[in-house]
Amino acid sequence: MMKTRDRVLWVLAGVAFLVGAVGVVQRVLTGHTGAAYGSYVPWGLWVGIYTMLVGMSAGAFLLVSMVLAFRIERLAGIVRLGVVVAGATFAGGMLAVWIDLGDPLLAWRLYLATGFTSIMGWMAWFYAAFAVVLVILAWQVIWRGRTSASPAVQRLGVIGAVLAIVFAGGEGALFGVVGARDFWNSGLTPILFLVEGALSGIALVTFVGLLFGVVSDSVGRVLGRIVLGALLVLIVVEFAELSIGIYASIPAYAASVELVLAGPYWWAFWIIHVLLGVAIPLALLLFAPGRRLAIAGAAALIAVTALSTKLNLVITALAVPEIEELRGAYTGPGLRWDYFPTLMEWLVGLWILAVVALVVLAGQWLLRRRPSMTEAA
Amino acid sequence: MLVANNPDVLAGLDTDASRRKFLSRFASATFAGLVAPAVLLTEFERKGGPAPAAAAAPADIVPLPDLPDAIAGQDLILRMMVDLRRALEKPIEQRRWAMIIDLRKCTGCVGCTIACVTENKLPPGIAYRPVLTETSGTYPNVSRRFVPRPCMQCDQPPCVPVCPVNATWKRPDGIVAIDYDKCIGCRYCITACPYSARSFDSGYFYSDFEGGDPQPYETVAAHEYNTDRIRRRDAAPVGKARKCHFCIHRVERGELPACIVSCMGRAGYFGDANDSTSLVSELLGQPNVMRLKEELGTEPKVYYLV
Repeated sequence: MMKTRDRVLWVLAGVAFLVGAVGVVQRVLTGHTGAAYGSYVPWGLWVGIYTMLVGMSAGAFLLVSMVLAFRIERLAGIVRLGVVVAGATFAGGMLAVWIDLGDPLLAWRLYLATGFTSIMGWMAWFYAAFAVVLVILAWQVIWRGRTSASPAVQRLGVIGAVLAIVFAGGEGALFGVVGARDFWNSGLTPILFLVEGALSGIALVTFVGLLFGVVSDSVGRVLGRIVLGALLVLIVVEFAELSIGIYASIPAYAASVELVLAGPYWWAFWIIHVLLGVAIPLALLLFAPGRRLAIAGAAALIAVTALSTKLNLVITALAVPEIEELRGAYTGPGLRWDYFPTLMEWLVGLWILAVVALVVLAGQWLLRRRPSMTEAA
Repeated sequence: MLVANNPDVLAGLDTDASRRKFLSRFASATFAGLVAPAVLLTEFERKGGPAPAAAAAPADIVPLPDLPDAIAGQDLILRMMVDLRRALEKPIEQRRWAMIIDLRKCTGCVGCTIACVTENKLPPGIAYRPVLTETSGTYPNVSRRFVPRPCMQCDQPPCVPVCPVNATWKRPDGIVAIDYDKCIGCRYCITACPYSARSFDSGYFYSDFEGGDPQPYETVAAHEYNTDRIRRRDAAPVGKARKCHFCIHRVERGELPACIVSCMGRAGYFGDANDSTSLVSELLGQPNVMRLKEELGTEPKVYYLV
C-alpha cells in the first residue's frame, strides 16, 4: 500500500503536471510568440532548465559510474536509484531543449545532417550515446538485477563515467566557445558546468535516496561528504570565474559579472544561489554532518537552487548588448535585453520538472515492486 | 485717394503677379548662390591663385579624400548597376560582394531599414539593417553619427561553424546564407554573432498588435534566397534564424540591394570587391575605411567610410 508521503508526492507532481500542461498547450498553439526570449536574448528559462537537468543527469550518472567502476560496495544501494534519477533528468533536459527549438519537428536533422564543426552537433551524438549506455545499464541493474560485481556492469560504469565527464564538460564548452559572449568565453566554463552538474546530480540522488529511505544513515553520511567536497570545488571554481572577470578590466566582461552580482536579478545570485544554494548547505554539511535531516536539507537546497546558477550564466551573458547603440536602434517584440520569463515559460518549465518528478516517482515505485533485484540481493 | 481707386496699389495687391515676381527673384538668388562660388573659384584658379578653402585651412589639417566620380553623366547608382552586371558575368566564386557605407553622408533617416523591411517582408521585431545612433561629446560640443548595421557577411563568420545542422553557410561569393527549410531554430548562431546581426523569427504578424487577421501586405510573397514564401504561422521562416543577405535575390537579377537604392543621401555603395574597376574597389582603396569590431578577425565585408 502506498505511503502517505508517496501519495502526497504523486498528487503534487500530478497537479504540477496538469497546471504546467496549460503552458504546453499555449506553446503549441501560439508558438514562440508567448515567450519573452527573442533576437537579443535568444535563450531563456527553458535553456536554463535544459542545462540544469542535463548537468544533473551527468552528475547522477557520474556517481553511479564511480560506484560501479571502482566497486564501492558501501554505495551499491544507490546505483539503481541513481540510474532512475539520471534517466529522469536526462529525459527532462531533452524535453526542455526540444520544446525550446524553433522547429522541433526538424530535430532529426541533428542526427541525419550533423554539423560536426558545432559543439551542439557533437553534443547531440554524445546525448544519444549516453542514452544508449543509460538504457543498457538500466536494463542490467534494474531488469536483470545485476550488481557491480558483474564485469559487464563494471565496463558500462567506466564507459558511462567517461561519457558523463565528456558531455557535462561538453555542455559547458557549448557556451565556452562562443567568443561573442565575453561572460561565457572562458576555459573555466566547461569545468564549471562539470562541477555544477556533479554537485547538483549527486545532491539530487542523495536527497531522493534519503527521502525514500533508500539509503541508510551511514551511506547518507558518505554521500553528504561527497556533496560537501563537490560544493567546495564549486566555490573555488566559481570564485575564480567571477573574480578573474571582475578584475580583468575588460568592460564587457566585467559588465556581465556586475550584472550577475549587482544587476536587477542580484537576488537570484546572492539569495537563491549564494545563501540558499551554497552558504546554508555548506553550514549544514559542515556543522551537522551526521544528521540525516541536515544532509537531506542541504542536498535538497543544492538541487532546487541549481537552476539559478544556470540562469545566471545563460541569461546574463546575453543581457549585455554586443553593440550598446542597438538599444535605441529598432524596437519590437524580441528586441529587449531585460529578459524575464513569461507565465507560459514558467508553466512549461513547471511541466518539465513535473515530468521529471513523475518519472522519478514511477521509477521508485518500480524499484520497490522488485525488491529482489536490489544490489543488496 | 481711396486704395480701391489707386491702380499702383491694386497692381501691388495682384497676388498672382507678386508671387510670380517673388519666386522669380528667389530662384535667381538661389541659382546665383549655387553657381557663384563655382564661377568665382574657377576664375580664381584660372588666374593661378590657390583655392579659397585650401587657403583658409590650417596647414596641419589634411582634407579628406574626395569620393570617386561617377562615369560621366551617370548617377552613382547607375555606375554600381553597371559594376553589378559586369560581376554577374563572372563565375560566382570570382565575385566578392562588399558593401560600403559613408557615415559622413548618412543622415539617420532609417529609409534603408524600412526599404529592407519592405523588400524582405519582415515581421515585427526583425530588422536586418537597424541604424545605430552614436552620440559623442558633451554639451555644447556634441555630435551624432548614424551607423547602419546590416549583416557583416564575415569572411570568417562565427555564426556558421556553430550551426549543428549545416543550415547556414558561406556561399562562394561570400554571402552568409540560411536555409530556412533546414534551420531547426536552436538559435546558437544568434548567440555567436558578435554584431547581433541575426534575429529569431518568433512568428509575429503586425496584425497581432492591431487585432484581426493578417493584413494583405503581410501575406505578400517574400523573395529571399530566390523563393516565393508567403508568411504563415506554421511555416518557415517562422521559428528560424534570419539575417541580412545583401538582398542576394535582387543582386542575382542585376538589381542593387534595397538599402542601397533607397538611400536618399547616396551613403551606401555595393559591388564586387574583386573587380578593380568597380566603385566599391575604388572606395576600399581610401585611407578612411574602417570595419566594426575589426579586432575580432571576422573580416567583415561591410566597410564604413569615416
